Amino acid sequence: MAANKSTRQGEDLWKTRVEKVNAELVTLTYGTIVAQLCADYENDYTQVNQQLEKMGYNIGVRLIEDFLAKTSMARCGNFRDTADMISKVGFKIFLNVTPTVTNWTADSKSFSLLFDENPLADFVELPDDGRAQDELWFSNILCGVLRGALEMVQMSIEAHFVSDILRGNDTTEMRVTLLRMIEDEMPPEDD
Amino acid sequence: MVVFAFYVFDRHAECIYKKRWQDALPGAPATSLRPPSQSTVANAPAPARQSLKSDDDAKLIFGTVYSLRNMVRKLGGEDDSFLSYRTSQYKLHYYETPTNIKFVMLTDVKANSMRHALQQIYVNIYVEYVVKNALSPAEHPGGIGVDNELFEASLDVFVERVLNTQPPDPRA
Repeated sequence: MAANKSTRQGEDLWKTRVEKVNAELVTLTYGTIVAQLCADYENDYTQVNQQLEKMGYNIGVRLIEDFLAKTSMARCGNFRDTADMISKVGFKIFLNVTPTVTNWTADSKSFSLLFDENPLADFVELPDDGRAQDELWFSNILCGVLRGALEMVQMSIEAHFVSDILRGNDTTEMRVTLLRMIEDEMPPEDD
Repeated sequence: MVVFAFYVFDRHAECIYKKRWQDALPGAPATSLRPPSQSTVANAPAPARQSLKSDDDAKLIFGTVYSLRNMVRKLGGEDDSFLSYRTSQYKLHYYETPTNIKFVMLTDVKANSMRHALQQIYVNIYVEYVVKNALSPAEHPGGIGVDNELFEASLDVFVERVLNTQPPDPRA
């Protein structure tokens, strides 16, 4: 089974190739960033979401190289493999979680990641201002990371959260949609 | 084994790093690396070679590996990739990451496969010192951010170790 294989790969890499840091350090650092953004944008949560996504994108475009260096993975054959790889290897080695891949659309271009646990959101309570619960996607940085990382391997995707336990939903769910494959760039014409 | 030159191309088809080990060509212009089209003049000291700017070098090499890669994929399927080709004068080794960064190394013809070495350069040198350098830009137009000291020094050390049959040369 391919799924079992990637689970094992993820486990092995996590055990052997990954330097660990204290989880609370990550959680608190990330929380501080979000809190600071909320202060900077005067609680305009749409802007905060956007900014988090952008920061994630910038992380993703580099993280993919680290991912490839650590895993020596070859290119995935199809988007289902990609999803499997993101969950069982990507999230595993960087956050030690394996979100569940589910809710595939019939054309295999869109899926959901269900986060049973989310290290970024430990200890977090959203501000009680009546808007954060409806507007802020606390872990939105993850959407950006995926977009940046996949763009580097020629996949243009769109990712957004559709529910978050922090908002009182039953699950934390991210929706990922493949928009198109990016063509190789040609060298500029000689003059 | 002798390494003549090393190139990195980014996903925008731009040469973001090149290094030639000139003194690896021991006084004899005949052994100099040159684009395949000129290999017929291999025995003459190559004036054409001098006039060829190193910038054109990189372009020619990119064009060659790009076309070869595409041809190999057409014939052998999407997952196929070529590892090296050899002329009477040099051997070109090729490694491409899934993020479309291309590593090219030119060595003498007796060299073994350098695929693993190129992968090591990517994993241990490029990712460590270029990608993880937070102050270097994520893209490298014109090679910005790639030619930092740590990268160059590690590359030199690595190539000298690969060149283990060669006495280490201070200028290399």
